[in-house]
Amino acid sequence: MYHTSKIKVKPFMKMADLIDANPNLLLMLQHFNIDFRVSDQTVAQLCTGHGISENLFINIANLYNGLGTRAHQPYTRDDLVQVIDFLKQSHHYYRSDKYPQISSYIRQLQENHAAKELKLLEKFFNEYFTEVIDHLDYEDNIAFPYFITLLKKADEPGKRELYSSIEYGEHHTDIELKLKDLKQLLLKYVNIENDLDLRRKLFFALYELEFDLYIHSLIEETILIPAGVDIEKEQNA
Amino acid sequence: MRNPLLHIAILESSRIICEGLQTILYQSDLDCRVHRSETLEELSELLETTSVDILIANPLQFMNREKEIRKIRKLHPSMSIAGIDYGVIQKQSMVTDISFTLYDSVEHIIHALSKLGKKNQSAALQKNEDDNLTKREIEVLTGLVNGLMNKEIADSLNISIHTVVRHRKNITMKTGIRSQSGLTIYAISKKIVSIEDIEI
Repeated sequence: MYHTSKIKVKPFMKMADLIDANPNLLLMLQHFNIDFRVSDQTVAQLCTGHGISENLFINIANLYNGLGTRAHQPYTRDDLVQVIDFLKQSHHYYRSDKYPQISSYIRQLQENHAAKELKLLEKFFNEYFTEVIDHLDYEDNIAFPYFITLLKKADEPGKRELYSSIEYGEHHTDIELKLKDLKQLLLKYVNIENDLDLRRKLFFALYELEFDLYIHSLIEETILIPAGVDIEKEQNA
Repeated sequence: MRNPLLHIAILESSRIICEGLQTILYQSDLDCRVHRSETLEELSELLETTSVDILIANPLQFMNREKEIRKIRKLHPSMSIAGIDYGVIQKQSMVTDISFTLYDSVEHIIHALSKLGKKNQSAALQKNEDDNLTKREIEVLTGLVNGLMNKEIADSLNISIHTVVRHRKNITMKTGIRSQSGLTIYAISKKIVSIEDIEI
């Protein structure tokens, strides 16, 4: 969901005000494992309380607020471990929340309407869902453990790994592409009569997913991969 | 028919001017998308991937770069150039089609730009005929939906693989759908193929 208020997050700002301006930040809090009852805490207080790097938190919050991060932020190794935790949490959100929700809406739609395209649409989504799970599994089982070893082996002299950050970037499959197809089909082509409540819920769920996936890949591309490449260079120097 | 979306690029290194222009463009009736580039190099990169209808440029960016500008014009003949007149350059520069100053009224600027946009419109309209596929594209799509490979489609229609690929690109451009399974659903919704032909 694209919001228009672009507030640049600063350490002294109250978290509750920021959420008011952009509720998508709730999703970010959840990915950081922070409870929604933020009281009157400022961003700085919230970060200290949860042992999260302020620099990292603010940069990600700004992504959610529609602002880019500055290139080449100096992230510490601890920051990057936190990034990986964050990405893992968002995988959990896709796997156990958003995709099942979308899947159940499509199923319901298919049950409510006789149009045979809907059967195909469900098949399309299920295939897509399987691809997504494969990709998440790949990240959870191969990519993230690789980054964690890379980060922990701090000063060990460089032994060339079988895997590398660049490869991770290349493997990055285009999950967003089929999601776009799905939206196009529903917005432009597939003919469904009425059922607006259900269809609206489906659309909102798709847009929520799209938004979070977009931020997810931004975090990987602008924070995790460049940092990984830097560490590899250091180690192989 | 609705006017097609106008792609407008701004070539200006001042962020204040860029954002100001962007704001008045988005608040106007023009149906447009705005792209920003700070340098001529960035603009060239943008032009490789996006077909820009109007370029709004700070003419100072063109100083001593005439050769590159000519090349850009040659490569993108349908792009019009509007220069921002900062009062530094006396007469309208050779490379710009129109110019305006930052003190012109918003209405004046938008009107001038929309006139410039209309110049390309007839050509753009033909290119962008919604999702109306040509007869050939429908034939290629049918083959695709039936699970044929590019080579098989080419053979059955007596055309080259290269042409099949080109048709496929056009199909995707017109429908906005890239995956094969998505195109199958499209083809059924549009009654190009019947659902009985498809294995579920």
